Amino acid sequence: MRTMALLDEANQVRTEEMLLNVGPQHPSTHGVFRLLVKISGETILDADPVIGYLHRGTEKLAEDLQYTQIIPYTDRLDYLAAMLNNYAFCHAVEEALDIQVPERAEYLRVILMEMQRIASHLLFIGTYLLDLGAMSPFLYVFQERERIVQLFNEISGARLTYNFMRIGGVKYDAPPGWLDKVRAFVPFMREKIKMYDSLITGNEIFLDRTRGVGVYDAETALAYGMSGINLRSTGFDWDLRRKKPYSIYDRFDFAVPLGQHGDCFDRYYLHLLEMGESLKIVEQALEQIPDTGPVLGKVPRLIRIPAGEYYSGIEGARGELGFFIVSDGKDKPYRLKIRKPSFVNLQLLPRLLRGQNMANLIAILGAVDIVLGEVDA
Amino acid sequence: MSEEQPQRPAAPTKAARGQEAGGKAAAGAASAAGRAANKQPPAPDPRVLAAREQAERLSQAVVEQFGPEAVLESGAAHHKPMLRIVRERWLDAVDYLRTHPDWRLNYVECMAGTDYADRIEVVLFVQSTELGHFVCLKTQTPRDEAWLPSLVPAHPGVNWEEREIYDLLGVDFRGHPDLRRIMLDDDFVGHPLRKDYSVWAETERPLVDGQRP
Amino acid sequence: MAWLWQWHNAGLSWLPFLGMVIGAIVVLLIGLGVVTYEIYFERKVLGWMQGRIGPNRVGPLGLFQSFADILKLLIKEDVVPEKADRSLFLLAPVIAFIPSFMVLAVIPFSRTHVFTANLSIGALYYLALSAITIHGVMLGGWASNNKYALIGGMRSAAQMLSYEIPLGLSLVGVVLMAGSLNLNDIVSAQRTWWFVIPQILGFLVFLVAATAELNRTPFDLPEAESELVAGYHVEYTGFRFAFFMLTEYLYLFAMAGLAATLFLGGWLGPWLPGWLWFAIKVAAFIFFQFWLRATMPRLRVDQLMSFSWKVLLPVALLNLVITAVVKAWV
Repeated sequence: MRTMALLDEANQVRTEEMLLNVGPQHPSTHGVFRLLVKISGETILDADPVIGYLHRGTEKLAEDLQYTQIIPYTDRLDYLAAMLNNYAFCHAVEEALDIQVPERAEYLRVILMEMQRIASHLLFIGTYLLDLGAMSPFLYVFQERERIVQLFNEISGARLTYNFMRIGGVKYDAPPGWLDKVRAFVPFMREKIKMYDSLITGNEIFLDRTRGVGVYDAETALAYGMSGINLRSTGFDWDLRRKKPYSIYDRFDFAVPLGQHGDCFDRYYLHLLEMGESLKIVEQALEQIPDTGPVLGKVPRLIRIPAGEYYSGIEGARGELGFFIVSDGKDKPYRLKIRKPSFVNLQLLPRLLRGQNMANLIAILGAVDIVLGEVDA
Repeated sequence: MSEEQPQRPAAPTKAARGQEAGGKAAAGAASAAGRAANKQPPAPDPRVLAAREQAERLSQAVVEQFGPEAVLESGAAHHKPMLRIVRERWLDAVDYLRTHPDWRLNYVECMAGTDYADRIEVVLFVQSTELGHFVCLKTQTPRDEAWLPSLVPAHPGVNWEEREIYDLLGVDFRGHPDLRRIMLDDDFVGHPLRKDYSVWAETERPLVDGQRP
Repeated sequence: MAWLWQWHNAGLSWLPFLGMVIGAIVVLLIGLGVVTYEIYFERKVLGWMQGRIGPNRVGPLGLFQSFADILKLLIKEDVVPEKADRSLFLLAPVIAFIPSFMVLAVIPFSRTHVFTANLSIGALYYLALSAITIHGVMLGGWASNNKYALIGGMRSAAQMLSYEIPLGLSLVGVVLMAGSLNLNDIVSAQRTWWFVIPQILGFLVFLVAATAELNRTPFDLPEAESELVAGYHVEYTGFRFAFFMLTEYLYLFAMAGLAATLFLGGWLGPWLPGWLWFAIKVAAFIFFQFWLRATMPRLRVDQLMSFSWKVLLPVALLNLVITAVVKAWV
């Protein structure tokens, strides 16, 4: 009798819910991101992402800038994939004006974009493993990324915020020998991808921490507007480079790797596979690129878009990156709206976190792959 | 399989795509000629015509269900079909098109609000992952006491986009589960993306009990 | 000078007492020296494994980097958070540190047992004292009045307690074979072969449990930087933080010494002097820990627990049964 009473008492131990502030200053939030987590013990009951700490009002700023002047601002959105942002914006303006981009410029752009994608994915792998407690990959990836950044530096003069694409082409032609350096980079990077595969993919602890964690299905992903690897990890075939080929992507032979389970491991592995596919594209582009030719098309000095509404999206490193331009016929956009993949992808986070262990928080947040510069714009 | 997939929503068949490619060149030439001789009106772009035609069909689908007063306008936003829906029917129409067997507009690509002098317009670029449609749905609200029905019940993914529009443009989304400011501070005054917003006007307002009203 | 080395066998008069004090101070200095260069070694090894240089600014090859770091920590302001439980907050690092230093007393550094207590229950003494450190860690986490520190402290307590059991059980196999709890006797019992060979199962359990006890990767959950910022010592600064660091690295040294003593034959070895053999074995163990850190991601807290209770404990028990049966029949 007495033991029963004691057990009853023990079962009624009053537990207290705790509100934990993850961020804004926290090593694993990849920027200034705050997550308000309600936990009971180590189980997450609810999570509320608080963003906006890095909000610079890019959309508002753009309303007072001429179209060419907006390009450097796009660098600062997803600062790990500035080339892709540059392109997305220039592409939107080019679509609106039906500007023909010279062949050589198109190839240069594709080479740069795919290299940028590799650099961005590399950094994802590094930071993700760092989040999971392995520190070496983080330092390794910077070595390969350094080579890409050096190549970008040679062609554009900048290492992070390139401001290299122009409406109608690119700013400079490749310096002599640059394409050969890229050609040498491809086999080098291929070896490195193999190395990462053997270093990380088979690691038992890594598998334990990522398999079956943060799972969602394609239906949920679509309803939440997710895109990029976050969508493809569910096995849903959706890559804008394939579905709505922009630029010259219809000329290349590459695969769109798809996940099966929609868990964190799939998201990691897709990043690794996509790097290989990007290398394929770079290789083919290097073969096909015309030896000479202009790199900037015929573009009026002052760019005015006819009044109307224009939207165009591309496959960014983190998902669909789109620019929506409302023009009233002047040389500045009346309204510029950026479809930010990180921002949209992040919405699902509270739902993924509910009921999870605290330690999974970092694994799930890391795999969503956000860049706060883009989330907050 | 991507070969089977229509490349542009406006051109659902291969034949039409070829036509369109031909039309593109023609349109380029036509617009160049139009610029040269300003008097001639430029020939209508076939892509725009296709979009208009598709918008017309979309409009019919909505009208059939909700009556003619639900649709304000159908046309084209650049090369994409555009449909302007009255705000009272906004959620119903979007949800209807989401499940409509001919349209299945299930995947929201972009949602944006724009402040015009007389109205605030909200645009929704939504597409069908199965059928390849890509359309632009619009609605509008007066600037004073701006409100719209929230689309979250139909597309949970617009949750943050609506919060952002609320934050920056001051549109009240009715039925939104969690309408708070998202980019700016909770105690921020004003909506910066409105065209009449001025930083100076907000900060120079006199303090009342140590706080700005 | 022989009296200095024989103090643990003499009666407690002033001369052996003086020897005791001198011995303690010398061991403390050795411990501090080892910790200093452990940290340097760790940073150099990690740097080498990660394709970077590591410390190279202070002194030749960066050899004085750790001294500079310690100096920095010592002259930093000692911040006590306003809402912290002041007395416990100040006490916790001391509680954590003292046992880490005391366990060094029983580790036989060389053939002549210089400065070490020839305790007849050495192995037990080590386990008992090292368990006290958990209190310091937990109290530190609690007293900080910080949620991260609290979670870190609680995780530490849970982790160290659950890994103490397999650690203890893996020792029992060695104790059974040597027939003694005295670490000096255990070393002597390994003259024919090191216990790592007959006790390979026990050694593996020991290795894993020791890594977990030391809170090192892949079991570094209590201070998981990416989740808990720094864990239980997040609110500590300067001198008190240095105490926690010191505790950690002293335990690394002590655990390496224990591993060398129990499984690798301690100071036994041909040609070279005993203390050098001991140093080599300790360095190998420490290097192994750094190597792990450069290689492994971190386990999740529930996986960590189930690993201890569902894998390590049964294996340790199995090892114990096998050892006992073999010992009884052979």
